Amino acid sequence: MKQLFRTVAASAVIAATLSAGAAWAETKLKLVEVITSPARTETLNALVAEYEAANPDVDVEVISLPWGEAFEKLATMVAGGEMPDVVEMPDSWLALYAGNDMLLNLDDSIASWKHGDTLAQKTLDMGRLAGGKAYTLPYGFYLRAMFYNKRLLAEAGVDTPPHTMAEFMDASAKVSELPGKTGYCLRGGGGGLNGWIMYAATMNGSNEFFTEDGKSRINEPGSIEGIQFLIDMYQKGYAPKDSVNWGFNEIVAGFYSGTCAFLDQDPDALISVAERMDAADFAVTPMPVGPSGKAFPTIGFAGWSVFKSTEHSDEAVGLVQHLSSPEANLTWTKKVGVIPIHQGAEQDAHFATEQFKGWFETLNGEEYVPTIMPIYLKNFGVFKEMSIASSQDALLGNRSAEDLANEWADFLTKEYQDWKNAQ
Amino acid sequence: MTHSNPTRSVLRYAAIGLYVAFALFPLYWLLKIAITPDKLIYTTGTAFLPSAFTLDNFVSVIFLTDFLVYFKNSLLVSGGTAIFTTLVATSAGYAFSRFSFRGKAIIIAAMLITQMFPLLMIIAPIYKIMAGLKLLDSLWGLIIVYTAFNVPFATFLMQSFFDGIPKDLEDAAMIDGCTRFQALRKVVFPLTLPGLAATLGFIFTAAWSELLFALMLINSNDKMTFPVGLKTFVSKFAVDWGQMMAAGTLALIPSCLFFILIQRFLVKGLTAGAVKG
Amino acid sequence: MTFVSSTSPGQGRGRILNWFKWAIEPYIYLSPAILLIALVMLVPLVIGTSYAFQAISLLNPFESGWVGFANFEKLLADRFFWKALGNTFWWTLGSLFFQFFLGLGLALLLNKPFRGRGIVQGLVFLPWAVPAFLSGLNWAWLYNPIIGPIPHWLTALGLMSEPSNILADPNLAMIGPITANVWFGIPFFAITLLAALQSIPKDLYEAAAIDGASAWQSFIKITIPFLAPTIAITVMLRTIWIANFADLIYIMTGGGPANSTHIISSYIFTTAFRRLDFGYASTLAVALLLLLLAYALIILQMRKRLIKGF
Repeated sequence: MKQLFRTVAASAVIAATLSAGAAWAETKLKLVEVITSPARTETLNALVAEYEAANPDVDVEVISLPWGEAFEKLATMVAGGEMPDVVEMPDSWLALYAGNDMLLNLDDSIASWKHGDTLAQKTLDMGRLAGGKAYTLPYGFYLRAMFYNKRLLAEAGVDTPPHTMAEFMDASAKVSELPGKTGYCLRGGGGGLNGWIMYAATMNGSNEFFTEDGKSRINEPGSIEGIQFLIDMYQKGYAPKDSVNWGFNEIVAGFYSGTCAFLDQDPDALISVAERMDAADFAVTPMPVGPSGKAFPTIGFAGWSVFKSTEHSDEAVGLVQHLSSPEANLTWTKKVGVIPIHQGAEQDAHFATEQFKGWFETLNGEEYVPTIMPIYLKNFGVFKEMSIASSQDALLGNRSAEDLANEWADFLTKEYQDWKNAQ
Repeated sequence: MTHSNPTRSVLRYAAIGLYVAFALFPLYWLLKIAITPDKLIYTTGTAFLPSAFTLDNFVSVIFLTDFLVYFKNSLLVSGGTAIFTTLVATSAGYAFSRFSFRGKAIIIAAMLITQMFPLLMIIAPIYKIMAGLKLLDSLWGLIIVYTAFNVPFATFLMQSFFDGIPKDLEDAAMIDGCTRFQALRKVVFPLTLPGLAATLGFIFTAAWSELLFALMLINSNDKMTFPVGLKTFVSKFAVDWGQMMAAGTLALIPSCLFFILIQRFLVKGLTAGAVKG
Repeated sequence: MTFVSSTSPGQGRGRILNWFKWAIEPYIYLSPAILLIALVMLVPLVIGTSYAFQAISLLNPFESGWVGFANFEKLLADRFFWKALGNTFWWTLGSLFFQFFLGLGLALLLNKPFRGRGIVQGLVFLPWAVPAFLSGLNWAWLYNPIIGPIPHWLTALGLMSEPSNILADPNLAMIGPITANVWFGIPFFAITLLAALQSIPKDLYEAAAIDGASAWQSFIKITIPFLAPTIAITVMLRTIWIANFADLIYIMTGGGPANSTHIISSYIFTTAFRRLDFGYASTLAVALLLLLLAYALIILQMRKRLIKGF
């Protein structure tokens, strides 16, 4: 008995010393995720645990911010001097943080990384969008495609999903004749800018934002037609009357509740739709093409960035590299609903389904030219914000498409000039 | 009012019924969503009675999320805030009610001013101060901040209740040999119980439902309070309505209980004798 | 104020000591409050106000450039500011009017004991206990024709031609948050006024009844004067809170559609965190502060006169 007691006591002391010793040697990293959901946090924690296992003296604290308040909270943390080491960086925030010189340049570490050469070229291009240097290592792409409700279309007598814009308007009209249903889940509220830009570009036949002289192309006649297209959709009743206020959650809910038949969205919406709709009831097709035979779906990304203020840059970069390795990235992107960053991803069984067809067709088809939003403009965030109220005004019929386009053009042209001058 | 008119009574009960219905109806809706299975939330939304009934959401909230921890934290923070605020405010409210002194106007003005700007504006300075005091990510930090936020209102409330109690009471006690503080404790304090109860009730619920500072000052999951916890049900992709409403319903229980508890004191009238003469 | 000292005045030194004790007494009672408020609110407020005179970068609020009154000039010329100011006025007035009178009514009803009063009190207090974010979402649901009952009821009552969402209509959208705010605020007035009502000595009513006064006369001559100080304070405070309270609006309409429901407080939020202009946001806050200060001064003057009058 005494022997047992001594052994137990001794082991306890040794264990305590060991853990104290380990705690001493530990480097602590703070990883902040901003696009948070229970599934993502779980996956992230698993990937982080792999990293910690491979690097026993590093301890990673994962801080999860609720997405609705993530921007304010991260900004407050940074303003108060509590910068994390690694942060999940959505594309729309990149210009702000990189522009304020807060992020570490990852170019060198990517170059010396063993998985660096399997990265798709797009990955590097996007990561370098702000300031020309890789201030973020993207983990996946958001690409627009058109979800459609197979059942509603069948009921309305639409045989095939629309290929052109005209067919799209036509199909929406037919669905709107069904009682209580409408055609298009229009995003009139926050975050709807992508839609306006896409349709403007599609009708204009080009996704260039600026001419060579630096003038915005958003008020060219073709673009105005595109803007008018959306206004018509709303005014003619092919989109729900409510949709002038709709944000992401509402349009997705509108789609999976069967209220509206068409939804243009990224692969991450697929997750919530697939949870609530039978796979047989919906599918995804590329965005409708315009008069020029082309469509210009928007492409965006999110990635991992390292704050310059980190005291452990090697470990922080190591963490980012681990999260971005091909296996980890595949695991992550499947859970998160983005297109993976390494070449050859579409071979994977998960991405070869009917639902993902829409996106890969878009990626591989000639008629579909991915469009990158001008996030390099310093005040692009401001533009996104002001576009909400002004576009709502237009939808409600209080101003013309031309008027709206001119206001946008003026703002964008000036922003572009500022940016050019700062180059 | 010695005569009780039956028509009057009926009208009174009807009016009370209407108020209760108005207060409870949205909460009934909350509960209805909480017990509706996810798939049906959008399709049978407008029906008055739930078409299907499930306790899954409640089960998930209680057992599969950290909600019980969030509750515990909220209870600690709200309770602590209520107690400290009431102590500080009673003291300050008494001072405002009984004394006139130089600087009174300035202090009152300062307290009023603290109510007049959106708290959003001081979030960055407070964050920095708390970081410097190492009170970030700490329930005590929240208690201190919440107490400061609530003291002005509580003080004014207590002041108006003290104003309703004649000064002669404690003057009489002091002539009889008590210090002011003893007079306050033994004579005046018991008479302010309704006011005290009201104040406690308000402060508790104010702290209970505060979101902004709880969000900004707390990082780790195990210190989160329940309003922040509710926000975790809103992800970028979906709002988990069922679970969120279930959590919201559960969260109402402590407030309701707390209030039923203190309302006993709320309706204690003044004893007639002490006031006369 | 009657001056009662706890010790008898003695020789010169004792007298001065007494005087000192007397003078400092209020401050002793006030010190915890003063300390807390100064540290946690006033110092940050000063810092926050200083932002109004600077061009602040959101991420580096502690290093930035002074621009003097430039932000204030911008404010006077800002179309949205004046629109938001108008909205703030309607929002505050609309919410306050209904909350106050309905709350007063409820307080009067609860003032007399009846069976089950305890439970009823607990129940009607519940709206105040619901976090603004949750009640905003809840009411947004109720007004949504797809998933909520209200549009259907309004249509059945003939007030609406077909079920639609008033939150999407710029002319009607403000009604939504106002309803939610009234629902939320009735308990506040009900409880504070009830507590005040409870301290009115019952014999006053008895005496009045004996003298032949009607219920209405008792109400005007006894109830209102006793309630006056509480009414003044609660109305003033609640007005100030409502003016600053943008959560419900932000959640239910986001300030839209087309800025029709933005009040100054929500405008401050979007300016600070969406347009990233912390300096201008602080300017807006200072403007709001000054307006509310003026309002408070007016109310306090009125209160003084009300109390003096009795």
